[in-house]
Amino acid sequence: MFIAQVTNADSLPSLQATIQFAAQRHALITHNIANLNTPNYEPVDVDPRSFQRQLGEAIDRRRTRFGGHRGDLNITSSREVAQDGRGRLQLRPRASGQGILYHDRNNRDLERTMQDLVENAGVFRVATELLRSRVDILNTAIRERL
Amino acid sequence: MYGSLDISVSGMIAQRTRMDVVAANLANRDTILDAVGNPSEFKRRFVTLAPAGRDVPQGVRVHSIEVDADSEPRKVWDPTNPYAKPSDHPDAGYVYYPNIDPVTEEINAMEAMRSYEANVSAADATKSMLAQALRLIA
Repeated sequence: MFIAQVTNADSLPSLQATIQFAAQRHALITHNIANLNTPNYEPVDVDPRSFQRQLGEAIDRRRTRFGGHRGDLNITSSREVAQDGRGRLQLRPRASGQGILYHDRNNRDLERTMQDLVENAGVFRVATELLRSRVDILNTAIRERL
Repeated sequence: MYGSLDISVSGMIAQRTRMDVVAANLANRDTILDAVGNPSEFKRRFVTLAPAGRDVPQGVRVHSIEVDADSEPRKVWDPTNPYAKPSDHPDAGYVYYPNIDPVTEEINAMEAMRSYEANVSAADATKSMLAQALRLIA
C-alpha cells in the first residue's frame, strides 16, 4: 500500500502511460519502415491524438476523485488502446489506409512515416526526462540529503 | 524496445539482400553458359519480401529469391559464335543473352539504398530512445 502511494504519486502514472504508448508505437513505426518495399503491405498505426484524449480524460477523472496527487490512472479502453488489469497498455494497430497505392499495392508514405518516427521519439524523450526528474526527487527524499 | 532494433535490422538485411541480387544480375549481364558450361543463358533473379510475424509486427523477411523464367532472352545475331543456335532452330545464328536491363537494375538499387537508409534512421531513433530510457536509472 505504501509503495503504491509512492509509485502512483503526482504525474508518475500519466508519464508511465505516455512512455508505454510511445515505446509500443515506435515498434509499429519501425515495422512500417522495414516493410517499405513489401508488396501488398498496408502500413499499420495507432492514432496518437485519440490516445491523448483518452489520457486527458483519465487524468481529469483521477484529479476529480483524488485531487491529482495519488490514485491509479484508469484509461478507458478504446478500439486501439486498452489497459489491462495490471495497468499495462496494449495497442491494437489498424491499417491507416492513407498514402498512395503503388504498383506493388503497397500503401507506404515515407515522409509521413519518418515524421511520425521523429515526433514519437520526441514524445518518448520528453516523458522520460520528466520521469527522470520525478525519480530524482524520490532519490533525494530517500537519501534525506540535498 | 529491443524488439524495435530487431525490426529495423530485419529491414536492413532484406534491403541488403535486394542489393546483392541486383549486383548479381548486373555482374551476369553477358553470361551465356551455366555453371557447368552448358549453353543456358543466365536468368534474372528477383527478391520477394513478406512481413514477418503473424499477430505481432516483427519486421520483414525475404520470402524467396526467384528466377524470372518468363522473360524472353536478348537475341544477338552472331552465326560464327560456337554457342549460336543450330540451323534447325527457329532462331538459327542467334546467341541468347540474358535479358537484364541495367536501368531497371540501377533503379532497384537506388530504391534498396533509400529503404536501407530509412531503416538505419529508425535504428538510430531506437538507440537514442534506449539511451534516454537508461538515463532514468543511471
